[in-house]
Amino acid sequence: MEYSKHYHVIVIGGGHAGTEAALASARQGVATLLITHSIETLGQMSCNPAIGGIGKSHLVKEVDALGGAMAKAVDLAGIQFRVLNASKGPAVRATRAQADRVLYKAAIRQILEQQENLDLFQQGVDDLLIESDEIRGVITQMGLVFRAPKVVLTTGTFLGGKIHIGLENSAGGRAGDPPSIALATTLRQLPLRVDRLKTGTPPRIDARSVNFSAMQVQKGDTPQPVMSYLGQKSDHPQQVNCFITATNERCHDVIRSGLDRSPMYTGVIEGTGPRYCPSIEDKVMRFADKTSHQIFVEPEGLTTNELYPNGISTSLPFDIQVDMVRQIKGFEKAHITRPGYAIEYDFFDPRDLQYSLETRSIKGLYFAGQINGTTGYEEAAAQGLLAGLNAARAASGKDYWCPRRDQAYLGVLVDDLITLGTNEPYRMFTSRAEYRLTLREDNADLRLTEIGREMGLVDEHRWRFFNEKREKIELELDRLRNRWVRPRTAEAAKVDLLLEKPITREYSLADLLARPHVDYVALCQAVDDGDAGLSEEEGLDQQVTQQVEIQLKYQGYINRQELEIDHLKRQENTVLPGNFDYQQMQGLSNELKQKLIVARPENIGRASRIPGMTPAAISLLLVYLRKFKRPDRKAS
Amino acid sequence: MPHIDNDTICAIATPPGRSGVGIVRVSGPLAGSIARKILGLDPTHRYAHYSDFMGADGEVLDQGIALFFRQPKSFTGEDVLELQGHGNSHVLASLRDRIISLGARLARPGEFSERAFLNNKIDLVQAEAIADLIDSSSQQAVRSALRTLRGHFSRQISLVREKLIATRVNIEAAIDFSDEDIDLISNTRIGHSLADILKELEKIFVGAQQGAILKQGMNVVLAGKPNAGKSSLLNALSGIDSAIVTPVPGTTRDVLTEQITLDGLPLNIVDTAGLRDSTNIVEREGVKRAKLAIDQADQILLIVDKLTHTEDGVSADSVEKLLGSLGLISEESAVNSPLLNRTTLIFNKTDLVNDSKIGLDSVDCGGVEVTVIHISAKTGSGVELVRDHLKCCAGYNPGTEDVFVARKRHLVALEISRELVKSAIRNMVAGSPLELPAEDLRLAQKELGVITGEYTSDDLLGEIFSSFCVGK
Repeated sequence: MEYSKHYHVIVIGGGHAGTEAALASARQGVATLLITHSIETLGQMSCNPAIGGIGKSHLVKEVDALGGAMAKAVDLAGIQFRVLNASKGPAVRATRAQADRVLYKAAIRQILEQQENLDLFQQGVDDLLIESDEIRGVITQMGLVFRAPKVVLTTGTFLGGKIHIGLENSAGGRAGDPPSIALATTLRQLPLRVDRLKTGTPPRIDARSVNFSAMQVQKGDTPQPVMSYLGQKSDHPQQVNCFITATNERCHDVIRSGLDRSPMYTGVIEGTGPRYCPSIEDKVMRFADKTSHQIFVEPEGLTTNELYPNGISTSLPFDIQVDMVRQIKGFEKAHITRPGYAIEYDFFDPRDLQYSLETRSIKGLYFAGQINGTTGYEEAAAQGLLAGLNAARAASGKDYWCPRRDQAYLGVLVDDLITLGTNEPYRMFTSRAEYRLTLREDNADLRLTEIGREMGLVDEHRWRFFNEKREKIELELDRLRNRWVRPRTAEAAKVDLLLEKPITREYSLADLLARPHVDYVALCQAVDDGDAGLSEEEGLDQQVTQQVEIQLKYQGYINRQELEIDHLKRQENTVLPGNFDYQQMQGLSNELKQKLIVARPENIGRASRIPGMTPAAISLLLVYLRKFKRPDRKAS
Repeated sequence: MPHIDNDTICAIATPPGRSGVGIVRVSGPLAGSIARKILGLDPTHRYAHYSDFMGADGEVLDQGIALFFRQPKSFTGEDVLELQGHGNSHVLASLRDRIISLGARLARPGEFSERAFLNNKIDLVQAEAIADLIDSSSQQAVRSALRTLRGHFSRQISLVREKLIATRVNIEAAIDFSDEDIDLISNTRIGHSLADILKELEKIFVGAQQGAILKQGMNVVLAGKPNAGKSSLLNALSGIDSAIVTPVPGTTRDVLTEQITLDGLPLNIVDTAGLRDSTNIVEREGVKRAKLAIDQADQILLIVDKLTHTEDGVSADSVEKLLGSLGLISEESAVNSPLLNRTTLIFNKTDLVNDSKIGLDSVDCGGVEVTVIHISAKTGSGVELVRDHLKCCAGYNPGTEDVFVARKRHLVALEISRELVKSAIRNMVAGSPLELPAEDLRLAQKELGVITGEYTSDDLLGEIFSSFCVGK
């Protein structure tokens, strides 16, 4: 049976990628359908109950700057907020929130249900309608046909999902949910490279069986940080503590005794797991000289007793899990509510994608999230937003958009994936971003909101807030540049105390603020500009002062980075046509020719990031590109 | 379409060596302002100015003709400045350095032609030729660079690069995994390793500077037992084309070096025999210097007297033995000594041996192909081959890049890298946020990558994962 309503964009999957994809598409006024096997699990956090963290919060803020849901939802669901790397500089500073799973799901569900142009439908998808290498729609389990010219696939770990606990294994997309076997079979027939990855999760523990007094308390930050640019402390529910404990040698002995029944160490699992998120058995084996590994004990919510012991992800047999956990301080009498497990799943080589996240071989088919070999809610959400945006743009006859590496972590993420591929679940780190000093948490809106508005992603409320902020920043910078302090005056004496040495000539406040260790509030108080300056209140003013201070202090570094970015931009703007013939290029090694033919880079910038590429090869490319572009013209 | 680089490039356009006129060419948006600063006048489009070429403090570096072409009516299609001065290599080098200090950078191989082509200044049919030029001159630059890199220099660079990466791994791990209980080294120790890196970079810089500026030219060491014919070969080489033979005056060390030129290619010839002949007390010092000369040599000509060479053929073993017996390498040096790559075997006195062949040959020394040339320094037969061989080794080809330009580029990269490490140290001392020294060091590593001629693709994360137990 064919469903009567025709959609422009269909999103398959209701996780973090799927929900952002559906929202981004619908926000552009395009008729969108989100199909999920269960409406109850929309916005489900399958793994740890936290959002943000180093490199990841940058993505969340970018999604927020483009009108996405994740930051707003976590402000409504976060039960502990912390800023990591606070002392290491504004570019690597990162907000992290523990989330109440139930509240988070509810927040996402509400945003979805309030979104215009978006329909939800509950049913597993078994097949895709493809005609002459172009997507036409999807077919559900019960044979229902939904037609659409664009389909976004965000199937997470459900494709061919296989769950391992000890030597036992079963088919599953996540504990308690069936995998998508039929769809996996369909997809494996497409001309896309497919491989297996693995990830894992720790056993969950009943808080009533835990002795918290034996553990170290970890409190949230005061004042409470917020995730969304529009967020406020008052959005947050009740705040709770996390706890820290650690493994010990007895616990390691138990782990070692179970290795003969470990699916990892007996070769049952073929997929590659992430190096930065190893199972506890991996940590014990690979770093044998470490006698203890830290565990963060995170509450799963306000209305549940379940705890998430972050740091002991495992696929050892259940009896070993129980024994191992009970060796840990505070967990001596722990009751496990759900066993830990490893899950293997299909992912598609992201090098078969374009910047739009559309597959190269099937027109109109977009991939986002773990299906592309990434891990993490934030990475999934960012890709989802991009895929949904581009699917809707394509459906409306518009060109795709993807930020450059100097514009957003989202740009770094997509460029890394489609240029380098990945052989482990890809996670964001700040060290992946070469323009790190430019891509800060605090300026994601200044980098992206304007373009988001142009593309129809940003609503009126956010746009007004943004404009007010931008204006205030300019005004305040202006004021600081034109407010002078003369030496040997009363106010200079107070400034001298701040600087720990007297000023010898006239300085503007901007000059003074540019110095390291000079604080905005302290300076404004010293020159008695308490009223002229901005308040310390959270929200707009706080964002403005922070921005002003960073811009002034980092000017030298930012200027230097901008020179680098200028070069990048020229490279990115030099487009390599899809039908460019690399074979005919003289003087280029066969190895590099092959790499270029396989990668089909869109522009010179991306070509230069292909491993093994040299400056001389790029020069050659430019020469042949010029020849390609004017085949008949003679020189003037 | 504007091409990728819109910066200003410069290069010495005349072949290295001594000639009447030397030309330094500048192309790019800064050409005009550079002209004003060096000439002290506003140059007129397509007009020949006779002028002083001034240094940073207004001192006169040289005098000559300055030509200025305003874009697009120039060879490259950009603003072009051409300074025609005297052909002395030192003068040209200081003029070039002055231009670089005014904001230009050293051109890549074939880059003037590349820009001309990209700005539609060269006919399309020449595209292949330009491509060939870029290809061959960059290959040559790579060869040149490799030759420099093969020795001491390369070991030092890779060592300092490793140290830099090790330090970056610690800093980046402290940033990306700050909420994990990994054993990071303290900021004090990071400061120490940075100081260490800076010291290494200074050392390499000074060493490379000596190689590249003080001794413009290919360093050739003549090695061999007394009476093998080293001096005869030197005379035979310098006699050709009535090359200029000048003993370079100066320090004791330099007195043993002679500079000759072959078709404009400057050669610094070190006669190790002279070093070895030093008597008793200074004997040891002499051997030490000979070893140093060998270490810095671009080419080692190992001269063997055919009369006294008793073995039938040449093998890796016999070459090593020869080098060893001359005290040039230590006894325990294995076959495949890196010296072999730079060694040419010269069999001299073919005129005194019957059935002797003349000409070029090669022998496989444990995987390294060593060139063998049979000559008679006395009659002059085969000397031409030695001459061609040396030019070929230098990658010498008038008009394209030679080894010394490659070295100059290394020097610039080293200098930038050194400044960045200094900045990182200042940041650590001042207690700046860790992301600032991290940025300095990222760029420092990128600059070192310039030396190896590849885009750096560092796998810092991989290093972090293998050094630390991270992950929750």
